[in-house]
Amino acid sequence: MTAAAQPAGRRWRRSPLAPSWQKGYLFASPALIVMIAILIYPLIYSFVMSFYRWDLSAPSQYFVGLSNYRDTFNSLGFKQTLRVQLIFSAVTIIIEVAAGMGVAVLVNSKLRGLKLARTLLLVPPMIAPAVVGLNFRWLFNGQYGLVNGILRYLGLPEAPWLSDPNWALVSVMIADIWQNTPLLVLLFLAGLQSLPQDPIEAAQVDGASPWGIFWHITLPLMRPILMIALMLRIIDTFRTFDVVWLMTQGGPGGATSLITVNAYQLAFQSASFGHAAAVSYVALAMSLLFLAVLYGAPWAARKLRRNS
Amino acid sequence: MAFDRLSRRGFLGGSAAVLGASTFAPRIARAETTEIRALLITGGPLYPKYWEKVVADFTAKTGIKVKYDLLEFTPLTTKIVTLGAARSGLYDVFSTHTAQIDSFFNYFAPLNEYFTEDELKDFYQVGVDYLVNPKTKGLAAIPRNMDARTQYYRSDVYAEHGLKAAVTWEDLVEVSQKLTGNGYYGLVVPGQGDPAQRTFSDLLWQAGGDWVDDAGKPSFNAAPGIEALTYYRDLIQKWKVVPPDAVSYQWNENSTQFSSGAVMDTFDWPGAFSTLSNPETSKVVGKWSTAPYVRNKTAISCAISHAMALNSMSSKKDAAVEFIKYTVGSEAQLLNFNDYSNFPSRLSVAKQVVSEATGAKAEWLAQLEQTIATGKEWPKLPGFSRVCTLMFSTIERALSNQQSPEDALNQASAEALQIMTQAGAYN
Repeated sequence: MTAAAQPAGRRWRRSPLAPSWQKGYLFASPALIVMIAILIYPLIYSFVMSFYRWDLSAPSQYFVGLSNYRDTFNSLGFKQTLRVQLIFSAVTIIIEVAAGMGVAVLVNSKLRGLKLARTLLLVPPMIAPAVVGLNFRWLFNGQYGLVNGILRYLGLPEAPWLSDPNWALVSVMIADIWQNTPLLVLLFLAGLQSLPQDPIEAAQVDGASPWGIFWHITLPLMRPILMIALMLRIIDTFRTFDVVWLMTQGGPGGATSLITVNAYQLAFQSASFGHAAAVSYVALAMSLLFLAVLYGAPWAARKLRRNS
Repeated sequence: MAFDRLSRRGFLGGSAAVLGASTFAPRIARAETTEIRALLITGGPLYPKYWEKVVADFTAKTGIKVKYDLLEFTPLTTKIVTLGAARSGLYDVFSTHTAQIDSFFNYFAPLNEYFTEDELKDFYQVGVDYLVNPKTKGLAAIPRNMDARTQYYRSDVYAEHGLKAAVTWEDLVEVSQKLTGNGYYGLVVPGQGDPAQRTFSDLLWQAGGDWVDDAGKPSFNAAPGIEALTYYRDLIQKWKVVPPDAVSYQWNENSTQFSSGAVMDTFDWPGAFSTLSNPETSKVVGKWSTAPYVRNKTAISCAISHAMALNSMSSKKDAAVEFIKYTVGSEAQLLNFNDYSNFPSRLSVAKQVVSEATGAKAEWLAQLEQTIATGKEWPKLPGFSRVCTLMFSTIERALSNQQSPEDALNQASAEALQIMTQAGAYN
């Protein structure tokens, strides 16, 4: 209704409140204040503190520039931590994505008994990581654990799951894969069920093999979902803490020390908060770098193709 | 209707009155009794009852109420670190320990002014010494009970094999080898985190070495340190007399291995005497005895203490100190010993419990007194708490054969020197 169409005597009056965009901010302000207080402020504060020597035992905090970052990269423990983190992230993400896609394709088929499988898939992501960590610690216990018990029963050699550095890393990766693969299955399953059926049916009519259909049609169509899955998992692997801490506390000898574990030890065992903050920001920078590569690489490839 | 006549001024005035009354009323009520807050240590199912009794007795005697929270050792330390970083005054009193005390030198208020020289003389000197800030000489906490270890061994199995408790490092290997097999192990030692550093520390001193030299520079990588870490590693990897999972054991796992009957020998804290005698927590009741800690060149091992500290941010320091004094007093220490076999930190109370003990308990107390008499603790120099974290992974790397003891200790020593220099240990 325009102003001209208003009945006589009724004129638009200027609202005593601010314009609508300001009202928007006004209504959002409680949530914004909470977010700033509990998310943005600590984030900025910890970033600032990563440039300070802040030890609980020291009488005061003082600015040290990049010293905490230099110490971090020079420390023996961090070099090992970096290597462990990269192996952990790469292996778990590759296995989780591959297994997640495989299981999703299987669950998406019309085989019998898959309804139960779909329900069971919800169980691992619903369990708290702390519970997963404790359970796997007992499952992999060398003397009394179920896994070695089964191996013993079958007459197979037992494995030093948590006491050998290499096996310990394998153990925490198994726990992580067990918990997170089902989440990716559900994500991929949702993607598969929303794919257009026409190209797939056309390929079937043309006599394409199931593998060919998957590789040349399904997988390219699933790329946006795959990207989201990879993004979620990259962020998650750089935040993984509970499972590893409860299973191994980063040991033996740093063999399972992820960046978060290293930061926790610096903060709560050494009471060296400046160093811990620096380590945390290295983790954040690394995950951002990987995300940039993930999104930047296809963009760069497209640009190259266009230019050529 | 009354609401029709409610003016804006009346509504706001009424609201302010209600709000004011609700804010100040509890304070007025509280002013009648003093209430302090304490963050206290627990462990096992019986400990909460101890604090319940101590707090109830204290309140009955002084009228001061104590609202307390209980946490086990590691989460307790983590929580104090967080509170200390925030300079929180939430708690007035903390349970603490010699091992982590240097992290809290600036958060805990010095207790010197609350304890006279004569009062302090009644505590084990070694217990008090390592709770003192070496720079300011401030007493950061006061010992509540002494922590020192003795050997606990399966006397029934030893007798069956005609063996005696090990006295030296060599004996320990020899005896343990004879008792290892068929899923049983001759010995258990922890191999992770602070317990691993504690065990290495004992072996380092027993090999004749120390953490730092006279100038305060790291010396744990000298020959005795290498000998100690090599011996420690070999118990697990070469002689295989310790469960291979020991590299992931802390105190709980260590104690459980012995109390479940899976291993024949261990070195444990005074509280184990009580735990191992209780059928609810032990499968080896009546089947074990104690002996002194093994020795090599020396017989030195840790002599540390659980302690009580005052928050420097507390607004009720006098009441808090009264509670601290009560928890380290004779009555509370006797209760702590009688119910949990935690060894008193007061010489007078220790003398009393030793004189009253008979049989195996008397022998054990004599062994414990001997450990405390020669006991030590690692230095409380600036930066050493961070060196401890470095040592956790250093020791674990050697124990799990990722590095030779020599390489691991040399690398750790170089980094420790850098950490301590940065922290101002040599200013």
